[in-house]
Amino acid sequence: MAGPHEVLGMSRLLGISTTEFLATYADNGGTTLRFGEEDGRCVFVTESGCRVHARRPLVCRLYPLGRATDGTGEERFARFPKQDGCEAEFGTDGTIADFLEAQGVAPYLEWSLRYGEVYRRMLRLLDLAGVEGKVETDAGGETGAAGPHPASDRDPLSSWQDIDASLAGYCAAKGIAVPAGIDEAIGLHLAAMGEWLDGLEARIGAAPDNPKREEKP
Amino acid sequence: MGKQTAGKTVTRREIIKLAGTAAAFCTSFGFLQGSQAGRTVQDKHLQQDKHITQHKWERAEIKWYSGATLLHSSAIPATVAKHLESDVSATVEIKLFRSGQMLRNLGTIQGKH
Repeated sequence: MAGPHEVLGMSRLLGISTTEFLATYADNGGTTLRFGEEDGRCVFVTESGCRVHARRPLVCRLYPLGRATDGTGEERFARFPKQDGCEAEFGTDGTIADFLEAQGVAPYLEWSLRYGEVYRRMLRLLDLAGVEGKVETDAGGETGAAGPHPASDRDPLSSWQDIDASLAGYCAAKGIAVPAGIDEAIGLHLAAMGEWLDGLEARIGAAPDNPKREEKP
Repeated sequence: MGKQTAGKTVTRREIIKLAGTAAAFCTSFGFLQGSQAGRTVQDKHLQQDKHITQHKWERAEIKWYSGATLLHSSAIPATVAKHLESDVSATVEIKLFRSGQMLRNLGTIQGKH
């Protein structure tokens, strides 16, 4: 699992663009890091450790803990069993809070929260749009964000996953400079997505905060 | 027909991008379903089912039955088992094809089950 902000951080550490990162190191529609087909290892795990440790994603920072939040924001944590070959120290000494602080998860949780707000907004719009064949077909019939060719499993599901490419287009249209800093780029990415959703809402209809819908299992 | 509001239309292309982006976020952030305010939960590689973390399975088998009679049993390929084991959200679909055309989808296997 790797969100666009995490892809950006790892890309900067490696000195490449998010476009190149997604093409080289991501899988499953650009949503996860690539794993070796033979050894099952993350592409960044080497004999000397993780190549992107300083910018490792939240899920790696949390391991061996798993974290869930419910609708009220209340957190739950659980511990995964130790993976074969993992050289990390496992123990029950200390507190979860201490562990999280040591792993530097705070900014990652904050970004997850903000992208979560965007995600909920997208779901509400999809509810309102009624995606079951009630929309028009474009001329040209593009079938996905990656282009008219049949998408592979490795092509990003959405162009918004590629922050560098997204911001290049957004900033060019606005006549502003692309931010150099990671935090600034993530903030502008969220703002750009917000404007995109504003435009959709103007045509689909404003998404209510709490639409009535059936609960799904 | 397009989804129209006040004479404006949203295209299939835009809806596909919206759905694709939501799907990508769902997977890459670990957001679970629920669009009502305050209902979206996040599960970052967590125990969706406690037995996954407490009783990790070690072997997966395919079994042939005739009625209730077990005819044959065989372990599923290691690559499939490894995929199912990799993530509680990992799935494998079994589909029947002839001449490149899918005849039937037999269903989806989830490693968490």
